[in-house]
Amino acid sequence: MAAPTKAPSTGHPNPTTHLVDPVAVAIRTRTPEDPAAIGRFAATDPAPGLDIARLPRVARVLRDRRFQFLLILPNQIVFWLVIGIGVLGTAVPGLNFATAITWYLWFALVFVMMVVVGRAWCAMCPFGGFGEWVQRHAFWRRKGTSIGLGLKMPEGVAQYGFLLSVASFLLLTWIEEFFNIAGPGNPMSTSFMVLGIVGTALLFFLLFERRTFCRYVCPLSALIGSVGAMGSVAGFRTRDRETCLACTTKDCMRGDADGYGCPWYTWPGSSDSNAACGLCSECYKACPSDNVGLFLQKPLTSVVAPTRRRADVAWSVALLFGLVVYQQFNALAPFANLDSWLNAHTHFPQYPNPIDYLGIIVAVALVMAGVGQVFTRAFAHADRVPTSGGRTFVDRVSPFRTYFLPLMYGIIPVVGADYFARQLPKFFQHVTRVPVSVGHLFGVGSTSSALYKASVIGSNGGIIAVQVGVMAVGTLAAMWTSWRVAGRDLVPVSRHGRGVQVAAVSLAALLGAATIVLYVLMNAAD
Amino acid sequence: MTAIETRPTASTERHVTVLVDRCAGCQECVIRCPAGALSMEPVTWTALADDALCVGCRQCERTCPFNAIQVEGPLAVAERHDPPLHHPVQLRGDVSETRRGFASWDEAVAEASRCLTCPDPTCMRGCPAHNDIPQFVKAVAERDLERAHAILRRTSVMPDVCSRVCNQAAQCEGSCTWSLAGGVPVAIGRLERFIADQVPVPPPAVRSGDSEPMSVGIIGSGPAGAGAAWDLVEAGVQVTVYEKDATPGGLPVWGMPDFTLPDAVARRPWEQLVEAGVDLRCSTPIPAESIDHLLTVHDAVIVAAGASVPIRLSVPGSDLEGVTDATAFLQGAKDALGPGGDADGFLAQMGCPTERGTRILVLGAGNTAMDVARLARRLGLEATCVDWLDERFALARPDELQEARDEGVEVRFSRTLTSLAGEGRVARATLAHTTQASRGETPKVSTTQFDEVEVALVVMAMGYRIDADLRTALPATPVAKKHTGYAPGRWTASGILHNPASSFNHGYPVGTMALDREVGLWASTLPQRSRVWVAGDALTGPSTVVEAMAQGRRAARAVLDAHPARPDRGAAFRAQHETRVLVVYASEGGTTAKLAEAVGDELRVQGALVTVAPVDRVGPRQLAAADALVVGTWVEGLVVTRVHPAAAMRQWIEALPTLGERPVATFVTYGVNPRGALDELGAALTAKGGVVVAEETFGPRERATETRIRPSKPEAFAHRVAARVLRTLATAVA
Repeated sequence: MAAPTKAPSTGHPNPTTHLVDPVAVAIRTRTPEDPAAIGRFAATDPAPGLDIARLPRVARVLRDRRFQFLLILPNQIVFWLVIGIGVLGTAVPGLNFATAITWYLWFALVFVMMVVVGRAWCAMCPFGGFGEWVQRHAFWRRKGTSIGLGLKMPEGVAQYGFLLSVASFLLLTWIEEFFNIAGPGNPMSTSFMVLGIVGTALLFFLLFERRTFCRYVCPLSALIGSVGAMGSVAGFRTRDRETCLACTTKDCMRGDADGYGCPWYTWPGSSDSNAACGLCSECYKACPSDNVGLFLQKPLTSVVAPTRRRADVAWSVALLFGLVVYQQFNALAPFANLDSWLNAHTHFPQYPNPIDYLGIIVAVALVMAGVGQVFTRAFAHADRVPTSGGRTFVDRVSPFRTYFLPLMYGIIPVVGADYFARQLPKFFQHVTRVPVSVGHLFGVGSTSSALYKASVIGSNGGIIAVQVGVMAVGTLAAMWTSWRVAGRDLVPVSRHGRGVQVAAVSLAALLGAATIVLYVLMNAAD
Repeated sequence: MTAIETRPTASTERHVTVLVDRCAGCQECVIRCPAGALSMEPVTWTALADDALCVGCRQCERTCPFNAIQVEGPLAVAERHDPPLHHPVQLRGDVSETRRGFASWDEAVAEASRCLTCPDPTCMRGCPAHNDIPQFVKAVAERDLERAHAILRRTSVMPDVCSRVCNQAAQCEGSCTWSLAGGVPVAIGRLERFIADQVPVPPPAVRSGDSEPMSVGIIGSGPAGAGAAWDLVEAGVQVTVYEKDATPGGLPVWGMPDFTLPDAVARRPWEQLVEAGVDLRCSTPIPAESIDHLLTVHDAVIVAAGASVPIRLSVPGSDLEGVTDATAFLQGAKDALGPGGDADGFLAQMGCPTERGTRILVLGAGNTAMDVARLARRLGLEATCVDWLDERFALARPDELQEARDEGVEVRFSRTLTSLAGEGRVARATLAHTTQASRGETPKVSTTQFDEVEVALVVMAMGYRIDADLRTALPATPVAKKHTGYAPGRWTASGILHNPASSFNHGYPVGTMALDREVGLWASTLPQRSRVWVAGDALTGPSTVVEAMAQGRRAARAVLDAHPARPDRGAAFRAQHETRVLVVYASEGGTTAKLAEAVGDELRVQGALVTVAPVDRVGPRQLAAADALVVGTWVEGLVVTRVHPAAAMRQWIEALPTLGERPVATFVTYGVNPRGALDELGAALTAKGGVVVAEETFGPRERATETRIRPSKPEAFAHRVAARVLRTLATAVA
């Protein structure tokens, strides 16, 4: 029997009915606070015309419970092949499907999807997907029970939002550098890395409820969550907030017969960025009022518009910027000398020494914080900045945060472009090996083939030019976002309104210029 | 006065933590907080709690979809003071009430002020009749009894009875937000009783009669019959009640002892109903096969005959003299202990010696068994109850069980009768030990451990079942009260489905039980046959007074909505009611939906009241409000293999209750060839008690937008449906 809460759209035909459900009569819930009254969400709500779920074909696809399964399935097949072929296949990295597909193609594609869409990868990710299949004991069907302990992430960890994810990304990157997995090293290492991620994900899916792994732990979550803000997909959002406010069942969060409750702890009615929308479409399926849409947005909207600046996103940006700067710096000769010197003195066997690895990353993040502090000292208007307060890490308020958070949001495009540019040498030089590695599985590819030796862009100069071009675009975007963010968030609280905007834009330009210099110095090193 | 619990109330002891990373700002907690302690933080748009206002009820914890709020600290609620039990000085012969109501306004108002007036009250869902508890409690707090009665009247016609006989711990009080939070609930039952004690329950407010009123026959005058009769007579319907016994009232009158429910209270509803014009015909049993005859003289029949056939255990010796059932004992004992009764004469009639120490063995330890044993104690007998369930999973009201023990009844759980022995008359009983690990598990009977008991009389009080003839006449009964599938969103959102924490409600899964009761309530609104509704124990098997009453009222209201007409009614009578058609469709790409709308539009033109709804949005309420159904679906499957109606439609039909001989029209939309899909659809609906009156298939060229030919194929189909559905009534006139 369908749930009696879902009244037919046409309403009761007989206005003089004697059958009145007394349950409904006795409910007198309070009137919810209306965010429209304070202008909340006005800046972040996408235009109704950008709701692609209004297109019948899209709606039909999203309504289908197999939608996400069919997104995940091809990736699931590819990555189990990666695991198998990495172990069993040839030891020549460029000929092994595992190495080739993972490091020459997938890693670059993930960054493209991140910058263009947002959490597109999360919607099709085979790691979380596998864990979720097991947790739900279903490929696509809605089941009422789940496997596992269903724990909640302890608040002591959860309050730091994406920062655990940043930590796991730093750890994984260090492991990748240490074992030279993406180098490319032994293909077997790629298999073990992927298997390690799948196993960890599965463990978390069995221990914790919903997509706790994806939201808090996944190495890519913080990166996609912060850099993905540049993306042009706003995610699943409310079509009409009044309807959401009037809804007292919140099927999109709790789940109903048609869909699971949001696995990402997001409510379409209050979502103001694409950071925590996994594009899984469960809320769209579950909504009894057909009030959830899939919205596009102008690029960079989720960088500029959100009213709520999250400290975990800001610190993620600072630390992730530190990591990518490290990855640029480590291609330079001075770094090699530093690393060797440290290894010799700390008796560490090989590159990368954890001291310089973490040292550079943390130093960059601290420099960013220092910049925030300088901005606070230079611009804060004592009467306008909020006094320190707040409950937990995520929503604490202080004069420093008043500047640091918007500044870090502003430089997101630099960080995003930097990560993307950093993947380009491998892609340009080696992506042609992907079809060769596929052919090799069938005995037709070899290292002597023309395709194996070919490259999309062969010359270092050409690659550097593209990298500089990408960084230039990223820097311009960051200058624009910094101008907008500072204009809205910093000008009202600063002594020199125009000055703080110019300073913020200068910061973005400076960081962009620094990375461009590093790319030139790196000489297209992969 | 008995103090049950002491709670500190200083506000600083409570602390609410909002897990701000997980809080999505949905305000589910804000709109339900009884204390108004929650608001929204404007920048982060997360919940903001004011510890000083928090009362610690944990409603926010139970209702947050993401578990993003935590409350620490004690409950800010005053002590509950229950009036002490009345213990007769000499139990023998004393049938005065043992439970007393509040003696003064001050006591009642103090208790009423413990209520938080929850915005989304769980107590109201826990009440089988869905009394608006917060509002009537508030009325008591404001000393406004007239308003309190008016609020109760919306959902109950016997608050005086229910407040005495309901197991509140498993219903309203078990679902009170204090109870769900681990505390002591508001004394809802006693407050309801206080209202009825202070001002008698007002009689039915009879509407001035129609020139040609509807006529409804009700079989049975128990709580279901009384509830149905009340609403019908208030609506100006001619009500005739057929009662098999010489006195009306059913089980509450003949089966409930005065110390639980005084006779005057039990008889009150029927005195008022007869006064209001109900034609009560006592000593008039209606055999199941006579329902058809009643349908020729009444426009509708409500079967509220109860479940009155005692269940008997068949063991060696159970045919000995001195083995009887609860009905015979309760009726006899009640009369014997009543005014002018002869206790010794009754015992002699039962063949039971009157000397001290004579023991009666009661099989069962439910509420009926408790009544039997406590009456036996008042007749001067020793009483032993045996039940094969573990005491943790006992079926009796916990307070009633305690009262029985206080009165000297020996209750042995984890025992079952294996044999009776005696010379012609029962003298000894052998009881085997049993073990039961969990609720719902069938107890295991020991083959080695036995008890022997000397007994003079054995009363089987293991419950009742519905008369077999009635079950045959109404094949879709009894309806299993078990909610399947996902709980309705509003039930989940209210927080009642969280496992109760309180020892007060004895571990009852109050939310699940309440949701299961909804199945019975909605089943009572659906006709089981054409013009026949069923309510109370006859519908769902043995249940409670309040549930039967609520079902009776719902059945009556469904009858008022359906406005059925017996064959000899004229056109003027039939014209008072428009035929209500529910068009249900399963659509994938929108084609079937458009066709359903087109058919619905044309049926409206033909004069029907039409609702068009997708299959996943049709629940019992929509079904109850339909005289006829049009069911349309797309077909799925490969033409070369098999073609079926869409899975969503098949599942919906599978889960349907009986359609009670309602007319059903069917159509399918197909791309290539529907093959047997239409027949399969029709067969599935027929199996559910529908009568298929029209069928149609729509191919790719026969869509709703086809306008060149008038009438279009969907319109023509609608005309055929209208002719059958609307003419069914017209033909009947002829």
